[in-house]
Amino acid sequence: MGPLGLKIIYTLITLVICGVYGLLLGAFMAKTMARVQGRIGIPLHQPFVDIIKNYGKRTAISHGIMFYLGPVFRLTGGIGTLVFIPVIFGSEYFSNFSVAGDLLLVMYFIFFGQLGMALGASEGGHPYSPIGIARGLAQMCAFEVPFALAIIAIAIQYNTFSITEIVAAQQGGILSWTFFTNPFAVVAALLAMLGMNMYPPFSIVLAPQEIPIGPPTEYHSAYLGMLQSNRAIFAAAKLVLFMNLFFGGATNFPVLVLKTWAIYMCSVLVGAAFPRFRPEETIRFFLRWPTVIGIVGLLFAKYYLI
Amino acid sequence: MVAYFQNPLNIYITAMAAAFLLGLVHKLGKMASLTLFYGALTMMAAVTLGSALSLSQPLIIQTAGFIAPLSINLQFGYYEAFFTICVNIAALLGGLYLYDYLKDSVLARALFLMLVVGINGMIMTRDLFNLFIFIEITSIATYGLIGLDRNIKALSAGFKYILAGGMISAFFLLGTALTYYKTGTLNIDQIIAMKDVLQDPIGLTAITLLLTALLIELKPFPANGWGLDVYQGSNAGIAAMISVGVSTGALFALYKLLPLFPAQHMGIISGIGLATFFFSNLMGLKQTDAKRMLGYSSIGQMGLVLLALSFFHTAPLTMFLGIVGGLFLNHFLAKAALFWIAGIVKKDHIKEWGILSQSKMLTVVFIIAVFALIGLPPFPGFWAKWQFIMVLGSGNHTFIIAAILIGSLFEAVYLLRWFNYVLAGSEEKLACEKSKRVPVLIFGLITAFISALLIKSSLGPQSSIYFFPIAFAVILMFVGNFIPTKLRALFAISGISYLSYYVQMNVSGLNLIFAQMFLWGGMILSIATFYKTKAKPATYGLLFLMLASLGGLVLSRTTLEFFFCWEIMTLASYLLVISGKNAKKAALTYITFSLGSAAFLMAGFALSNSLTLMGLAALPSSQATIVFTLLALGFLIKMGAFGVHIWVPGAYAEAEDDISAFIAAILSKAGVFGLFVIAIYMQSTISNSTLAYSLGWLGILTATFGALMAAFQEDIKKLLAYSSMGQMGYVIAAVALMSHLGWVTALYLSINHILYKSLLFLSVAGVIYRVNTREMYKMGGLIKKMPISFISAMMAIIAMSGVPPLTGFGGKWLMYTALIEKGWHLQAALAFFASGIAFLYMYRLVHSIFLGQAKPEHKDVKEAPLWLIIPQVIFMGLMMVGSTLPRLWVEKLSVAVGEFMPSTLTWSGQTATTSLGYWNGFMVMNIVGVIFVIVLIFLLLTFQKVQKVKQFNIVFAGERPFTPETTHVAYNMYAPVQKALGGWVKPRATAFWDGVTEWSHTLSHMFAGIYTGNGQTYLFFILLFFLMLNFLIGAN
Repeated sequence: MGPLGLKIIYTLITLVICGVYGLLLGAFMAKTMARVQGRIGIPLHQPFVDIIKNYGKRTAISHGIMFYLGPVFRLTGGIGTLVFIPVIFGSEYFSNFSVAGDLLLVMYFIFFGQLGMALGASEGGHPYSPIGIARGLAQMCAFEVPFALAIIAIAIQYNTFSITEIVAAQQGGILSWTFFTNPFAVVAALLAMLGMNMYPPFSIVLAPQEIPIGPPTEYHSAYLGMLQSNRAIFAAAKLVLFMNLFFGGATNFPVLVLKTWAIYMCSVLVGAAFPRFRPEETIRFFLRWPTVIGIVGLLFAKYYLI
Repeated sequence: MVAYFQNPLNIYITAMAAAFLLGLVHKLGKMASLTLFYGALTMMAAVTLGSALSLSQPLIIQTAGFIAPLSINLQFGYYEAFFTICVNIAALLGGLYLYDYLKDSVLARALFLMLVVGINGMIMTRDLFNLFIFIEITSIATYGLIGLDRNIKALSAGFKYILAGGMISAFFLLGTALTYYKTGTLNIDQIIAMKDVLQDPIGLTAITLLLTALLIELKPFPANGWGLDVYQGSNAGIAAMISVGVSTGALFALYKLLPLFPAQHMGIISGIGLATFFFSNLMGLKQTDAKRMLGYSSIGQMGLVLLALSFFHTAPLTMFLGIVGGLFLNHFLAKAALFWIAGIVKKDHIKEWGILSQSKMLTVVFIIAVFALIGLPPFPGFWAKWQFIMVLGSGNHTFIIAAILIGSLFEAVYLLRWFNYVLAGSEEKLACEKSKRVPVLIFGLITAFISALLIKSSLGPQSSIYFFPIAFAVILMFVGNFIPTKLRALFAISGISYLSYYVQMNVSGLNLIFAQMFLWGGMILSIATFYKTKAKPATYGLLFLMLASLGGLVLSRTTLEFFFCWEIMTLASYLLVISGKNAKKAALTYITFSLGSAAFLMAGFALSNSLTLMGLAALPSSQATIVFTLLALGFLIKMGAFGVHIWVPGAYAEAEDDISAFIAAILSKAGVFGLFVIAIYMQSTISNSTLAYSLGWLGILTATFGALMAAFQEDIKKLLAYSSMGQMGYVIAAVALMSHLGWVTALYLSINHILYKSLLFLSVAGVIYRVNTREMYKMGGLIKKMPISFISAMMAIIAMSGVPPLTGFGGKWLMYTALIEKGWHLQAALAFFASGIAFLYMYRLVHSIFLGQAKPEHKDVKEAPLWLIIPQVIFMGLMMVGSTLPRLWVEKLSVAVGEFMPSTLTWSGQTATTSLGYWNGFMVMNIVGVIFVIVLIFLLLTFQKVQKVKQFNIVFAGERPFTPETTHVAYNMYAPVQKALGGWVKPRATAFWDGVTEWSHTLSHMFAGIYTGNGQTYLFFILLFFLMLNFLIGAN
C-alpha cells in the first residue's frame, strides 16, 4: 500500500473518530440543555439511534434533482472541510489532505456544503427553507467579520496561512497559544463561533417554534441521516480548526478531545443561558462588539506582536 | 472660360449680375428666374472651388482701377479659400433648402444673393471701409430675409436684429473713423503695419470699437439675447444661414483684425470666448425649444472657435486649419444640418420631436450632427478639440481645459436629451419635401467623408487599423436594413474573428491577455445574439464596432489612438444601450457619465504633455500624481466605482438582454485595462503612494456597497449590475496593490468575471425571454423547465462566491494573500464581509428564479433557446478546465505581470505557493470530486426507489393553501438585513448626483433669466459689453 492508500485509511479513521465524537458532543449539548431546564434529557447514545433509524427508513421522496443532491453537497462539504484540516500536529498521516490548500481553502470550503444544501432545500419548495437560509446567510456574513478579523490577526502574527505552520508556531508551552498571545483575536473568533454553531442566542436558522427547523424541513429518512452525519463531522471539523488556530493544536487524540470539548463548552454555556435573538439583532450584534474586539486584535497583532 | 472659374472676383460679379437680372428675368417666367438664381449660386460655389484649386499664392485684387475704399480690395489666400468654400456650398444648399421660401419672391432671392455676397466680402476684403459696407450688406439682407416671413415671432426677431445691427454698425463705423484718423489709411495690412500708432487712448478706443462690433456680431455672452431670439424666431433655413454663414463672415473679419489688438489683450478675447461657450451651454440645459437650443449651441460653439482663434491666430496654416478650422467645420456642418432638420420637423418643443424618427435618413444625419457637436470621434470636432486641449495642456491652462470640458458636457446633456425625444417616436406623419431632404443628406455625407479623411490623416501610418473596422461597422449598419439578421450576425462574428487574429499577432504580454479577454469573450458571446429572430438594423454593426474599439484600445500606442478607441467604444456602447426598449433615460445617464469619464481622460492626457502612452512613464512625480488621478478617475467612472456608480444599474438593466452580457462581461474590462496601462507606466510614482492606498480603499468600498445594494434588488438585471459593480471593486483594489500578486489577482478576477457574468447574463436572458419579466419574485421553480440555464447559473454563482473547487476560489485565495502580503489588513477584513454579503444576492438569484414554488402561468415554459445555451456550455467547459488546471492559465498571467515586477508566485506541479500559503487546485478538484461521488453512490444505494412528488406536496402543518405559488419566499427576502443594514445603502450617491443636476439646471435657469426678450434690455447689454471691454483694455 502506497502513501496515498495509507493516507486515505488514516483519513477514514479521522472521519470515524470525528463523526462519533461529533455525535457525542451533540448529545452532550442536548443533555446539558435539558438539565439546565430541569429535565432529564436524552441518553448519550440517542443520536446514534436516531441516525441509524433515519438511514433505515423506507420513505424516499424527492422534490427534484437539486433537492436530492442537497444532502450530498452538505456531507461532501463537511467531510471535505475535515479532510483539508491537519488534525494531529506532527503526524504525517493525520494531517490528511491539508497539502491541497491552506487556511483560506478551509474557510471557503465551509461554504461548499452550505451552498449546496441551501439550493437543495430551496427546491423542496417549503417556505420555511428559504426563510431559514436567508437568515443563515445574513447571520453568516455578520459573524464572518469578527472571524475574518481574527484570522487576519493570526496571518499577521504567524505570517502564514498554512494551518500546520500556525500550529507549529504555537508549540512550546501553553503561553505560546494564540489564546494567550493575542486574546483579543481569540475572543472575537469565539464570539463568531457562537454564531457559527447556531445555538441560542443565534439559533435563528433552525429556530424551533418559529420556522420549525428551517432549511431541512422537507428532508427525511436517509437525507436526514446524511445531514445528521454531516452535523457531527462538521462540528468536529470546526472545533479542530479552532483548536489548531487558537489553542495550540493537538499532538494526540486525547488532547484533541479535551481541547475541543472545552471550546465546545463556550457554545453550550452561552446557549443554555440565553434566549434567541431576532435576525436583525444578530446582525447588529456581530457588527458591534465582536467586530470592535476583532479590530483590536488585528491592530494588536499588527503593531504589537510583530 | 477656365479663367472665369479661377478668379474669385467672379463670385461677386455673378451674384450682383444675377441679383440685378432676377427682376427682369422674372417677368419672362418663374422657371427662368429660378434657374438664374440657382445657376448663380452654383456658379459662385464653382468659382470658389476653382479659385481655391488653382491657388498657388494669395491673390490680391483691386477693382476698377481705383484704390480702396473707392474700389473693392480683396484678398484670396488659403484661409479665405477655406472659409469661402464653406460659405458658398452652404449658400447653394441653403438656397435649395429654402426653395419654398424663395420661389415666390424675387425680392427674397435677390436678398439671399446679397447675403452671400456680403459674407464673401466680409471674408475676403482687406479694406476696413469695404468691410463695413459688407457687414451692412449682410445685415440688411438678413433683416430682409427674416422679415419676409410674416409672423410675429419673425418680425420681432428681425427687429431685434436691426437694433443690434445698428449698434454694430455704429461701433464699427466709429472705430473705422478713429483708425483712419490715427493711421491715415483704411487698408488692413497697412493699419497692422502701423499698429504702434494705435497705442494711445484714441487708438485703443478705435480698436475697442472695432473689436466690440465684430464680437457682438459673434453674439458673445451676455450681449447675445437678440441673437437667441433671432435663431428661435426666424425661419430655420435663414437661421442656418445666420449660424453658419453670417457668423463665419464675422469670425473671419475678426481674425483679420486680430493682429491689431495688442497681444496682452488677447486674454480678454479668450475669456469672452470661454465665457460664451460655458454659459451658453449651461443655459442650454434648461432649454426646450429646439431652435433656441440650437441657438445656444451655435453661440457656444462660436465661443469655442473664438477661444481657439485667440490662441492660434498666428499659428502656421496646418495648425490653424487643424484646430480653428476643425472646430469651425464641425460647427458649420452639424449646425446647418440641425437647423435644416428643425425646419423639416417644424416642432418647437423638443418633446414633439419623435416625429423625426419616421425618416431613417434624417435621423441618421441628426445623430451624426449631434455626435459631431458633442465632439465624439470620428467627426471633425473630435480631432480639433483633442489638438486644442493638448496645446492647452502643454501651456498648463488647467482652468480653460476644465471650463471647456464641463461646458461640452452640458452641451452633450441637452443635445442627447433631445435625441431621446427623437427616439421616442410619434404617430404623426412627417412631411418632407425633397428639396429640403437633399441638402441635409449632402451635409451628412460631407461630414462622414471628412471624418473618414480625418481618421486617415490624424492617426498617421497606423490609421488603417482603425479605419477599416469603422468602415466595416458602418457598412454592416447600413446593410442591416437589407440582409437577414443571422447573416449579419455571421458577418459580425467573422469580422471579430479576423480582428482577434490580427490583434493577437500584434500584441504580447499583458496586452495579449486583454485582447483575448475582449475578443474571444466577445466572439463566444456573439453566438448568443442569434437567439433573437429579428435584431435592429444597426445592432451588429455597433456590436462589431464596440469590440473592434476594444481591440484598438489594446493596440494603441499613442494617447490619441487610445482616446480615439475609448470614445468609439463609448459611442458604440451608448447606441447599443439606448436600443433597449425602455433604455432612454438610463442611456442618458450612462452617456453623461461616460462623457465625464472621457473628459477626465482628456484632461489627464493633456496635462501629461505626452503623445505616447509610453511617455507617461517619464513624467516627474508631482505631475504624474495629477495625471494619474485624472486618468484613474476616468477609468473608475467607467468601472462604476463607488460614488460614480449610479449609471450602472440602469445601463445594465435596460440594455437588451444579450447586450447586457457584453457590457457586464466584456466592456467593464476596458476600465481595468486602462487602470493597468496607467499603473504600469506610472508604477514608480504610484507604488506605495497615498493615491494607490486610497484607490485600494475605494475598491474595497465599491465591493462592499455593490454587494449590499445587489442584495436588496428585486430586478434580476439590476441585481447583476450591482454585483458587477461589486466585483469590479475587488479588481480596482487588486490593481491598486501595485504588487505582482495584486496584479495577477486583478487579471484572474477579470477573466473569472467574464466567465461567470457571461453565464449569469445569458442564463437570465433566456429566463427573461421565456417569462417576460425581470422581477424575480414573479418567477420561481424554473429549474424543472430550464435545467441547463439553472446549472449555468449555479456554476456561475459558485465561481463568483469563491467556493472551491471552481475558479472563484483561486481569485479569493490570490486576493486575500495579496492584500495581507501588502499589509492591507483592514481592507482584507472588509473584503471578507463583502464576499459574505455576496452570498446573499447569489442565493436570492438562484432561489427566486429557479427554486421554490413555480407559478402556474409558467407551466408551459421551455428551456432557453439553443443559441443562448451554446455559449453557456462553452463558458461552463472553460470554467471546468480553468478550475481543474489553474496552472494552465494562472502561470501565464503571472509571467505577463512578471515583465513589470518580480514574481512572488511559485509553482511546483499544480501547487501554487506564495510567501503566505499554498493552493493546489487540481488536488482540491479531485478530492471534492471523489468525496462527492462516494457520498452520492451511498445515497443511491440507500434509496433504491425514489418517489417523485407534485409541486406542493410538502409538510405544511395541516394547511393547504389554494394558491401554492404564494408560498414562494422571494419578495423582500432580506427584510432583516434591510432592517439592520438598510441605512448603509440609502441612495446617497444618487441624491448627490441628483443635486448636481438640479443645481446646474437652477443655475441654467437663473442665467437664462437675463434674456428678457426685451430689445431695450438687449441693447443695454450690448452697451455694457462695450463698456466692460473698454474698461478691460483701458485697465491693461
